[in-house]
Amino acid sequence: MITIDNICMNNVLLASASEVFETMIFMDLEQCFDTEQQIKDDTLLSSITFKGDLDGCLTICCSSDCAKSIGINMLGMDPEENISLEDTYDALGEVANMVMGSIKTKIQQNTANISVSIPMVVSGKNIVTNLSDSSAIKTLVKVTIDSQYIAEFCLLYKHNTL
Amino acid sequence: MAKSLMIIDDSATMRKIIMRTMRMSGLEFDQPQEAGNGKEALEKLSNGPVDIVLCDINMPEMNGMEFVKKAREMSSCADTKIIMVSTESAQDLIDSVIADGANGFINKPFTPEKFQEKLSPFMN
Ligand SMILES: [Mg+2]
Repeated sequence: MITIDNICMNNVLLASASEVFETMIFMDLEQCFDTEQQIKDDTLLSSITFKGDLDGCLTICCSSDCAKSIGINMLGMDPEENISLEDTYDALGEVANMVMGSIKTKIQQNTANISVSIPMVVSGKNIVTNLSDSSAIKTLVKVTIDSQYIAEFCLLYKHNTL
Repeated sequence: MAKSLMIIDDSATMRKIIMRTMRMSGLEFDQPQEAGNGKEALEKLSNGPVDIVLCDINMPEMNGMEFVKKAREMSSCADTKIIMVSTESAQDLIDSVIADGANGFINKPFTPEKFQEKLSPFMN
């Protein structure tokens, strides 16, 4: 079996997120290397799990203001308009779904099958993603969205040897 | 003449995005019907068929794969064109859903041009 190294996965994650933000959300996404910049205030976490040749999950973490802005852009709403909490959650869930789909397409040539769950969105403060399994690999990409918001895309995965 | 349309996706956001993309593609459609999963879609279709169905795959209750099989058992939907719109992209999955009776496949993320290209053959 061909395994995917972490550097490669980092690029795949960034490319997938960029593709989705460019084509479906129409917001500018840049990788952020500034460790000082943190996600502020109330946080939303969108997650989607997958299993198969790779087991793990993809999470997207951002402030609720950032999530609202993403939802407003996706739905083509007026920036001044108010977006409901329900639509915000739904939009952020669909972002995880699409980013995961794009990742799947890119790694499919190397690994075979993974099947993906329905996305889930939760809110909280200082949410940290972890898999109980210590053999899991964590790839984290921090980005700025429209030079205004910070978001983190995190991919936790392990190769399934069975 | 404008075609009748149903959009099946568990995400309300995605259903709205698909509607907007359809408008941007320049293709002519009536106000679409919506369903949140395959089961809901079958119930709505039993009241009357539509010309074109745009269907997600990854959905709770009844996914798009099962929906296609069930819809193809309905004689009233014999002429309905079913186009899958999904983040899934494995070729064997696409082949199998086409074998089950789907008429086309559009990958998410998508563009209005992609909709134009994939749907215009069914517009006449
Ligand atoms: Mg879905």
